[in-house]
Amino acid sequence: MITFEGVTKRYPDGTVAVDHLDLEVPAGQTMVLVGPSGCGKTTTLRMINRLIEPSSGRILLDGQDIQRSNQSELRRGIGYVIQQSGLFPNRTIEDNIATVPLLIGWKKARARARARELMTLVGLDEQLARRYPYQLSGGQQQRVGVARALAADPPVLLMDEPFSAVDPIVRATLQDELIKLQAELHKTIVLVTHDVEEAIKVGDQVAIFRPHGHIAQVDSPERLLAAPADSYVENFLGFDRGIRRLSFLAASGLNLDDRTVVEEDTAASVAARAGRDTGEDWVLVVDAGRKPRGWAAVARLDSLPAGSPAREATLEPYGHTFSVHGDSLRSALDATVLSPAGRAVGVDDDGRVVGTTSYDRLRVAIHAAEQAADRSAAPGNGTAAGAQRQDTAAGTA
Amino acid sequence: MSFLSFAWDWLKQPQQWHGPDGIPIRILEQLGYTALSLVIAALIAIPVGILIGHTGRGALFAVNLANAGRAIPTLGLLVLLAVTLGFSPLAWLVPLVLLAIPPILVNAYEGVAGVDPGLKDAARGMGMTPWQQIRKVEVPVAMPLIVLGLRTGAIFVVATATIAAYIGLGGLGRYIIDGLATENYGEVAGGAALVVVLALAVQAFFTGVRRLAVPAGVRQQGRPS
Amino acid sequence: MDWSAVPTYIWESAYLGIVPALLGLVISVPLGIACVRWKWLYPPVLSGASVLYALPSLALFIVLIPYTGLTDTTVIIPLTLFSLCVLVPNVVDGLRSVPEDVRQAATAMGFGALRRLAQVELPIAVPVVIAGLRVAVVSSISLASVGQLIGVSSLGYLIIDGYQRDFVTEILIGGGLIIALALVCDVLLVLLRRALTPWRPRRGRRERAQILIGDPAVAAQAGGAG
Repeated sequence: MITFEGVTKRYPDGTVAVDHLDLEVPAGQTMVLVGPSGCGKTTTLRMINRLIEPSSGRILLDGQDIQRSNQSELRRGIGYVIQQSGLFPNRTIEDNIATVPLLIGWKKARARARARELMTLVGLDEQLARRYPYQLSGGQQQRVGVARALAADPPVLLMDEPFSAVDPIVRATLQDELIKLQAELHKTIVLVTHDVEEAIKVGDQVAIFRPHGHIAQVDSPERLLAAPADSYVENFLGFDRGIRRLSFLAASGLNLDDRTVVEEDTAASVAARAGRDTGEDWVLVVDAGRKPRGWAAVARLDSLPAGSPAREATLEPYGHTFSVHGDSLRSALDATVLSPAGRAVGVDDDGRVVGTTSYDRLRVAIHAAEQAADRSAAPGNGTAAGAQRQDTAAGTA
Repeated sequence: MSFLSFAWDWLKQPQQWHGPDGIPIRILEQLGYTALSLVIAALIAIPVGILIGHTGRGALFAVNLANAGRAIPTLGLLVLLAVTLGFSPLAWLVPLVLLAIPPILVNAYEGVAGVDPGLKDAARGMGMTPWQQIRKVEVPVAMPLIVLGLRTGAIFVVATATIAAYIGLGGLGRYIIDGLATENYGEVAGGAALVVVLALAVQAFFTGVRRLAVPAGVRQQGRPS
Repeated sequence: MDWSAVPTYIWESAYLGIVPALLGLVISVPLGIACVRWKWLYPPVLSGASVLYALPSLALFIVLIPYTGLTDTTVIIPLTLFSLCVLVPNVVDGLRSVPEDVRQAATAMGFGALRRLAQVELPIAVPVVIAGLRVAVVSSISLASVGQLIGVSSLGYLIIDGYQRDFVTEILIGGGLIIALALVCDVLLVLLRRALTPWRPRRGRRERAQILIGDPAVAAQAGGAG
């Protein structure tokens, strides 16, 4: 756990980068510091491993003031990942990763073995071990940077805009992998980014900075989207806040309709009746394995010769499906909007259709989920681990 | 006795300052050889260097020219031409010019080639002809390096001209060579001292030229970071 | 014509060429490191180097005669000073060429300044330093022959002797061997660079010719960029 107590950073020319910061970074979670350029988030990060020294205030790492530790020793226990990866061009990939272990005295063989372990962990082909940085792509270099930071198994990982220098597709992949990694490793991660989407995607806790080093709000991403503290935070989060918040609500709460799901060999007339009986214009046709094939309009089913199976009707594509167990209400809503039938298909883990949803059912589920979320976030119910609200009355530039 | 005392003893002799072998004449001779060789070398090297820098062709040649120039022993070149050409002035002129060309050319090339590509792009985009681009944008920006190349070339020439006294050239080297032959170290020291002063003066001269010739805006960006 | 002495001359030219460059290297590395660490040091050092570089080698040999006589040392000292003039800017440039993020990463991982220098910064500076070394070695080999005028023996002897006897072939052989020696040393240094820097892309950026020119002021002009 990392604690900032009244930390200020003032430069000789008078600029105040960080102003009386109080912040608690919970152990084993990802805290994302996000804000506009020059707001002090990077300065805050770099004070943790003493690359920048605070002008006043204390920073505690697991209860101990970091000023009391030797700088180099402190840094060897903290992983640091930066935007340009900072790989040593004159060392092979495995020697780059093995840097800190070698520094703290591991034998070469053991350090290199550990390096290879980490390469697998971050998704790098082991064959790249003896190559040099210039031979790798940007995304690969970033993975090496992360592996290098994790080599000595530090409890704390600092990341300064780690994914900003790669293209969006690679960025998304790296973000996903970070989430996966963290689920396994449970490090205390502090990540700085200027991209609020990244913060929301990756963070367990997100601290939104105002210009000049004040924090506007610290909360879980879901709470931020649900209840921004003021208009600054609201603007920072951007529009679409309501819909984006839905990604934190599980789709499993949806009440799905399976009455309009028909197998392809069913007679068209039977299928059409199923639709009419429930008042729907569309019926979902599935195959023998209950995998979706497409939407059939009731009208079209009626126009088929009697006795023809439903599969002979012209089928509209069923589009995106959503997973009943894994996906969020946002996916379900998105699928619904995209569907020509105005209804989305919910599938289980094997891809088999569980049922369909509609705007109405979504409305009900969203309302219920929001109420449940609000109840559990109320003070005294023990969520948003330890994050403290900052003084939001501080003036902005 | 120290070098300075030898040199001073000789320099303060009044007869050294008079006559055809006198110091003023020798200084003028040295300056003459230097100026002549430099001008010829510059006339050849600067346009070629600018051209290579502007078009980008022959860059490999330019870069390796410097190395080649450095490897050629001055004494060897001088002596070779002296033996094959006899008393012709080409015996000293050609080596002086040849040795001055590499620094001037390579610096002119690097100066032009190193112009911010954004600047060159803007010039082309504005509709300047290649000649205009060179004249109005590339050369002014390359000025610091061009003058620096001239300065380096001048120093090479001063040094080579001094050595050229060995094959009979006049100038300050005369004192050194004659003094060595007659084992008159005073003369040798005096000559060497004068050469040093001359070299420093030439260096200072070109440093001054650089201040004057380089437009103020360009000078600012040329400062080492 | 006594050709049996030629190998000795070759050895002497090599000696008079390589020793000054190596001495220059030994002095310029700490000096360069100091100039990077204390930025205010660099401009005066550079100015001093510029002035020194302007002085004709023959004159410098002569200045030393009362102190070191007509020995190898008289030639080696000025050539070492010239090598210094070339190498210090290269050491500085080489160290400055280390990308900032690499330096930061090293610090953040707990490298002390000395370790960072030895394991990261100097290795990265090697290509630039070797470029300077090439200039220094080639120049020294060539300039050493001028020492023949004050009686310091090397391949320059063949040149002088050839002149005195009007023997063109001897001159050509003397000059040719000097050039060949310089070339061989140059190639060896390139091979050394390749061996020391397997981590560099083969199709490297063209080396800036200023650095090859060797004039310290020119190096400073270019320094920092590229």
